[in-house]
Amino acid sequence: MILFKRISVWLALLGVGAVVLLLRGQNAKVPNPGPVSEPPRSPYARTVASTGLIEASRENVKIAAPREGLVKRVFVKVGTAVKAGDPLFQLDDREVQARIRLLQAQVQSLRSQSAVDEALIADLDDQSKRFTRLGREQVATEDEVKRREYSLATAKARAKATLSATAAAEEAVRQASTDLDILTVRAPRDGYLLQVNLREGESAANKSSSESLMLLGDVDTYQVRAEVDEQDAVLIGGESPAVASLKGHSDLRMPLRFVRIEPYVVPKRSLTGDSLERVDTRVLQIVYAFDRPAFPVYVGQQVDVFIQRPQTEPAKKL
Amino acid sequence: MFLLALKMLLGDRAKYWMLVGGLAFSSLLMTQQYSVFQGLLSWTTSHMRNMRASIWIVEARVDQVNETKAMRDTDVNRVRSVEGVDFAVPLFQGVLKARAQDGSDKMIQMIGLHSGTLYGRPPRMIAGDITQLRLPNAVIIDTVAAEVNRLGAGMGRPLRIGDAFEINDREARVVGICETERHFFGYPYVFSSYDQALQYAPRQRKMLSMILAEPKPGLNEADVAQRIMKETGLRAFTVPQLEKSTLKWVWANTGIPISFLTTIILGFVVGVAVCGQTFYSFVLENLRNLGALKAMGASNMLLAGMLLLQSMTVGLIGFGIGIGMTALFGLTIAKSGQPPFLMDAAFVFEALAAVLLICALAALFGIRRVAKLEPAIVFRG
Repeated sequence: MILFKRISVWLALLGVGAVVLLLRGQNAKVPNPGPVSEPPRSPYARTVASTGLIEASRENVKIAAPREGLVKRVFVKVGTAVKAGDPLFQLDDREVQARIRLLQAQVQSLRSQSAVDEALIADLDDQSKRFTRLGREQVATEDEVKRREYSLATAKARAKATLSATAAAEEAVRQASTDLDILTVRAPRDGYLLQVNLREGESAANKSSSESLMLLGDVDTYQVRAEVDEQDAVLIGGESPAVASLKGHSDLRMPLRFVRIEPYVVPKRSLTGDSLERVDTRVLQIVYAFDRPAFPVYVGQQVDVFIQRPQTEPAKKL
Repeated sequence: MFLLALKMLLGDRAKYWMLVGGLAFSSLLMTQQYSVFQGLLSWTTSHMRNMRASIWIVEARVDQVNETKAMRDTDVNRVRSVEGVDFAVPLFQGVLKARAQDGSDKMIQMIGLHSGTLYGRPPRMIAGDITQLRLPNAVIIDTVAAEVNRLGAGMGRPLRIGDAFEINDREARVVGICETERHFFGYPYVFSSYDQALQYAPRQRKMLSMILAEPKPGLNEADVAQRIMKETGLRAFTVPQLEKSTLKWVWANTGIPISFLTTIILGFVVGVAVCGQTFYSFVLENLRNLGALKAMGASNMLLAGMLLLQSMTVGLIGFGIGIGMTALFGLTIAKSGQPPFLMDAAFVFEALAAVLLICALAALFGIRRVAKLEPAIVFRG
């Protein structure tokens, strides 16, 4: 073939080769590297996505003292888990104890008085009976008989008065015991002690509202305040189940229990914290509760929340 | 007979080289210009290769990938709420001013990736760990940004991991270096986490530039994009759709395509002119030989076939040399990436068709002449 004796043909073939080489190099595409961690994915087929913040589930309780007084004993430390009714701290009770002892002595004295009264009544009763017999036999005068009868009635009335006084004194002892019980402050509900600002020997005066003697909170259940764009608010169908995952760790999921929908739509909280910020987005807040998961979560953490959307679309009305 | 035709062609070295050279030059002009044009156009969509995602969601009035009209933060959640969306993450994109060590200002293309997943991260890392972007003030820069005449200014060497520069008076520490495809604007890429990018960027009411989303496995991207548009009122593109829309914008709004097209058409016209004239004069010179063949009984069809063979031969050889030169040009500049260059396989065949069309046209002139030829001419003069 005479063509192949020509250099131009070889040059042309070389050119085609270069094109193939170039195209192969160009077509080497790097694949999509994908997400570095599990992206927030909805577990539901139909969902309303939102973001939320973790909050403590109920408002914290600031424990107060019933009255001013010296702290005698503190039963708990920060982080102690308490049940409703467990003692938290006790105020100085010496005064009340003394009062109880005094009142008890009074009761004792009144009871002794009752014994004396009974003996006297027995004596007068006996006398009265004998004088009544003597009176029938015309031995004693009527005056003597009546005098014995009245003495007995007086003694009986006196004994009754002593018994009432005893009952009153016993009631006073019970009241003092109640006072004693009030000096021991108990947990109003289950929870954890988040703060203890009280030491034995201090005065348990109720401090300013910003500071409390003890702070009782609940960290077994948290709540999430999920914020849904107002444009999606219509898609929320009542008590829908939801799932939250920690920001950046979407594989750590927490099932949520519906608590309530805040009925007032608020401006979106912006986390930049700029006071000059203008807001054009309002959000519907939905509160969900969840139990403390196996992995650590903290109040104030951001979460991605996926809320199940009901099967039926809201009715479109004209 | 056809061997005779080739001998006739190769025998006239001057004309042969003129034909091959003209066609080679014409093919070079067409393919090289088209490749540079394609390369330049590809720069306008390089975002889509430096950040990978199946569905790109932008504000309703955005036509192309380089344009940003901010959306509201909650729009990410609205996209996540659309049925068929597997996941969706926010992306910040903006041109910011950075300050190099020597105090000079350099423009950068800032990209903020979703902090959790870093979805849309550059596919090719050269050094460093992408997950370190979650550290405070951490950025990953591309090799262009690292250069001495960019952010490396004042260092006397390209930036390395651990070096720092400033963006809007905030420190940016380099925790990694990646390789990206160059962008049309020429600004180097600097990647950071979305939250960090918002700190770097001047504060605006709305900061969310784009949302990257993936469809659930098994679903069609275009269908999901359509659904996102219907339900959110935002604009959602698949990658081919966004490329098409971006290129459409470039065609409509810049003079780049017209100027390149002019050169390509000129290449074609020069090819036709040079090749046509040369081949016609080649036919004229060989008219006596052709006449002799005709006198010996060769039909017009056979002669036409011979001429076509001759012209197609020079066409193929010329095209091969021309496109070879284009390829060599491409291979040479592939490392530096300047000027832009992207050879389109389809256009190689289109250019071949164009060259063969030139040759066919040239042969047509000759064939007309030969067809009218009286065999008796051989016996005259």
